[in-house]
Amino acid sequence: MSGPVLEAEGLEVRYGGNLALSVDRLAIAEGELVGVVGANGAGKSTLVNALAGWSRGEPKASGTVRLDGRDVSALRTPDRVKAGLLLIPESRLIFATLTVDENLAHAAHPRHAQGRRAWSTDEIFDLFPNLASRRGHLGGQLSGGERQMLGIARALRLAPRALMLDEPSIGLAPRLVSTVLETIRALVDDGLTVLLVEQNVKATIPVVDRLVLLERGRILAQGPTAQMQDDPRIAEAYLGGSA
Amino acid sequence: MNFAQQALNGLILGHAFALIAIGWTVLLGTARLVNFAHGQMYMIGAFVAWFVMSAWGLPYLLAVPAAMLAGVIIGWIMQRTLLRLTIRQDLVSIMIVTLGFGHLLEGAAGLSFGSTGQILDTPLSLRDIYIGDLWITWQDVAIVVVTIVVFIALKLVLERTHLGRLVRMVAEDPKLALLAGVDVRRVYLGVFAFEGAAVALAAAVVAPRTPILTSMGFQEVIITFVVVVLGGIGSVTGSYLAGLGLGFFTAFFGAYVSQAYATAAMFGVLIVVLALRPGGLAARAGGR
Repeated sequence: MSGPVLEAEGLEVRYGGNLALSVDRLAIAEGELVGVVGANGAGKSTLVNALAGWSRGEPKASGTVRLDGRDVSALRTPDRVKAGLLLIPESRLIFATLTVDENLAHAAHPRHAQGRRAWSTDEIFDLFPNLASRRGHLGGQLSGGERQMLGIARALRLAPRALMLDEPSIGLAPRLVSTVLETIRALVDDGLTVLLVEQNVKATIPVVDRLVLLERGRILAQGPTAQMQDDPRIAEAYLGGSA
Repeated sequence: MNFAQQALNGLILGHAFALIAIGWTVLLGTARLVNFAHGQMYMIGAFVAWFVMSAWGLPYLLAVPAAMLAGVIIGWIMQRTLLRLTIRQDLVSIMIVTLGFGHLLEGAAGLSFGSTGQILDTPLSLRDIYIGDLWITWQDVAIVVVTIVVFIALKLVLERTHLGRLVRMVAEDPKLALLAGVDVRRVYLGVFAFEGAAVALAAAVVAPRTPILTSMGFQEVIITFVVVVLGGIGSVTGSYLAGLGLGFFTAFFGAYVSQAYATAAMFGVLIVVLALRPGGLAARAGGR
């Protein structure tokens, strides 16, 4: 079996003098859906942001990030995107002043895809029929669920090798949460590699292959979902002791 | 008849104001940046056009692109210097640095072109058009035509092209644009270069109306500031309309009240409009 698609080693992020994240090693295999869970402030967003080389603040990150074995740590965010490492950030995930079509007519052209699969607009609209009827609408006019779908669709157009999603369920009705997570599962079953950050652990467990539990910026435990959901730290804190 | 002449003057002046301001409109709309060297960049554009024609004897049609090239180079150098401040959106430092750049440009122009006034005569500025008692020059016609062409082209580029989409993405959310694979630094560089080219074009087309001095530029910054704010920061259509409105206002105020207080009156209008509509007349993000 080949090595991991996405791998981080000795990844540290500091805000000023404060250590916000310290991950010794994290690896995600091809076609795997890994869920990162943890309380507010555990460092979940900091982790995926550091992997993408991105942040809305100005943190200092160090360590190694590899994509298909290639060290991408020195690459700037747009170059990591072109290499296939994509992040859909929390909350602001689409361009509100651009139409759905314009959001999908992406910046990094598939010529950067280097054999990776870049989804066509037809495939996108097959996957998200709601978006097909909203093509001329501005992103800002879409519902929360439609924005989330457009965020995922935008990423798929960029030919992802590894896709990271930060709290895709945030602000969505429970039924929509299941729809979005099931869509992500279907994409993984179709071959995509995904790192999913979620606070909604109950909704996450049924769809992920592996769970990573973060606490105070460190990986407290990680393993297959079936094993991790019996972990008392997860059961008590996130599943109401119902393991 | 004086009214008709003033209306015509206002129309031409308004297009001149809009053309002078267009670069800053895009700069502010896209990068949320100010450039207080804008006026001195206008002055450099005018002097480069004058120098190319008077010293090298080249035709006006080559002087215009030469001035624009100088504008691009200055814009590019400024943005390279300001890039870190731009990314951090450190507006206070950017204001100070661009003010400093303006003074540097003024000093350099004084050394290169001297401190005496010059006339930028062009084949168009020397040819008159009379319509009854009304008088304009072909240069005035060129101002109106060039402004309309530039505004239409800019709107088409911003709304219909891949490049325009990139600019609008950066305007809305530069951080999110990074995650869409957009090289935001290059967009910022491009926008600054465009500003340099646009203000130099404005100088080459508008400056033949008046004598040019290396100490000029302040008036152009004030006009640009008023047009951009009145038009709604980042709004291309708003800037065009604001420029036109300001042109008519200046022409009529100058003719019927006092030329000396026209700039003060401009600010009066600005204050009243902003008090009534804080977002300007047509605020819209993204340089559209």
